[in-house]
This record gives sequence, C-alpha cells and structure tokens, in this order.
Amino acid sequence: MEQEVGRDVKHEGDRLEAALSRSAQGDSTAFAELVREHQGMVFSIAYHYLQDRSLAEDLAQEVFLELYQSLGRIQSAAHLTYWLRRVTANRCIDQGRKKLRRREQALEEAPEPAASDPPADPLLLERLQQSLAVLPERQRMVVILRFQEGLGPAEIAEALDMPVNTVKSTLHRSLEELRRGLTRKLREVRYAFF
Amino acid sequence: MHFSEDDLRAALKRKDPGEGFTQRVMARVEQAKAEGKIKPVNGKANRSLFAWWKLRPAWTFAVVALLLLGFAWGGYQYSEYRHQQIAKRERQQLEELKKQQEEAERARDQAILALQIARSKLNHVLEQAQMPADLDKIIRRQRL
Repeated sequence: MEQEVGRDVKHEGDRLEAALSRSAQGDSTAFAELVREHQGMVFSIAYHYLQDRSLAEDLAQEVFLELYQSLGRIQSAAHLTYWLRRVTANRCIDQGRKKLRRREQALEEAPEPAASDPPADPLLLERLQQSLAVLPERQRMVVILRFQEGLGPAEIAEALDMPVNTVKSTLHRSLEELRRGLTRKLREVRYAFF
Repeated sequence: MHFSEDDLRAALKRKDPGEGFTQRVMARVEQAKAEGKIKPVNGKANRSLFAWWKLRPAWTFAVVALLLLGFAWGGYQYSEYRHQQIAKRERQQLEELKKQQEEAERARDQAILALQIARSKLNHVLEQAQMPADLDKIIRRQRL
C-alpha cells in the first residue's frame, strides 16, 4: 500500500517536472496543467488573506501571469511550489497595504466556495475567518501558511524573508489574538441576543 | 469560545477557485501576449539571461583569480622597472667614477712630468754653479 502511494507521488512529481519542462519551451497545454495543479493553493492563500473572492481570483491570475514570464527561472516542481507560495504571499501583503477593504462586508458578499466536506461547526469557522481577517498583515500570512499550507516555521521564514524565531513568536501571538478576538465576538453575539 | 488547531485548519482549508479558472488564466496570458505586455516563453533565452546568477561562485572565483593575476603581473613589472632603474643609476655612477679616475691619472702624469722638468732644470743650474769652483782649482794648480 505504502509502495503504491510512493509510486503515485513519484509519478505525480515526474508528471509535473515534465509539464514544467514543456511549459518552459512554450507549450500552453503544459502551462495550463501547471495552473490546474496549483490554482487551489494560490487562490486559497489569496482568498484567506484578502477575504474577497474577486480580489483573490484577480491576484491568483496575476501570480500565474508572472509565473508564465518567469518559467525559465523555475528549476523543479518543488521550486515551483515554493516560488508560487512566496510570490502569492508577497502580492497579498502588498495588496493588503494598497487597498483598505471592508473585510466583514466582503465576507458576507462573497459566496462561499464549494467545499468537499461540510465543516464541523460552521459558526466557529466563520468567526475564526473573521478574526483572522483583522490580524495584522504578516501575522495573517504566517497563520495561513502554517494552517492552510501546513508549512513549518523554517519554510514560512524562507517564504516571507523573516527570521525563524520571529515566525515562531508571530505564530504564538497570532493564536493568542485569534483566541481573544473569538471571545470578543462571542460576547458581542450574547449582547445581541440578550 | 475555544478552538483547536484542527478547527483553524478546517477554517483555512483550500478552496477551489471555481469552474473555468484555468481557462481565464490562459485567456489572460494570451491577451497579454497579444498586447505585447509579456514575451512568449523562451526557456533557453531566460536561462541564459540568468545563468550568470547560478554561476555566481564561479564568476566570483574567476574575477578574484583575474585580479590576483593582475596584481602579480603588475608587481612583477614594477619590480623589474625598479631593478632597471637601480642598475642604470649604478652604471652612471660607475662611469662617473671611471672618468674621475682617468682625470686623476692624467693630472698625476702631468705633475710627474712637471717635476721631472723641474729636476732637470735644477741639475743644470747646479752644474753651472759648481763649474767656477773647479776652474779656480785648476788655476791654482797651474800657479803652483
């Protein structure tokens, strides 16, 4: 069973390497394959950060457009994933700085994209997303890379050009702030009801 | 309200950008290409453009080696120049010394010649001065 999984992963890696190589030679179909493979990751980072579906889609498209121009510099499939995460994270932070958004309104406006499994506690998840939206830029991105992408502190540090210890302390502080934010939101809900 | 890391993972689960995202990206790429905003991919050209960056250590080594060679060659040339200058100065000093020595020898020869002339003159005078005394002796002998 494990051997089969390993073989699948290797096959997947080989397929991506081949697609990358063909894309670098100008093959549009191969590039579309790369987009399909990574669109979920890029779009999700942008969506969780910006909390706005149309902005996230626009940003994701720009990231892939930049990728198209930088294909010659991408050395491997792993490098491609690293490059996409890094560019998306930096673009999100820039976008967040440029535009003052009404996050909560955007959240309500945006139709929730289809998820494969229904969430355990939709209210809790919604509150978590709202609390995440008010975190400062870097903290928000650190939390997204940690819990959406499952990256370790060293990988996050590399992607965001931050010292590892800063990433660890930022993560700790962010979780504390999320907890505080969630408690505050709960209190607001209670006041609204009673 | 408490939450676990799993709740956070669930809240941040990857979302699907929806149907047609890839097509929209490809359409944007084609549009940008048509408008000339991006250049068509050319892996080889891009690679050669950034190849120097990958070879940065080799370039650094080559530049350092060239600089070292340049300094060594420059140093060798300078030391050669210095040696030539010193040899030239020594040659000039030697020539000056030889010239002075020749002049001194010539002066010595002239001085010796002058002394020889003076001696011969003195001898002659002395001979002239001694001659009357001898004549007196001869005259005195004749009278006796």
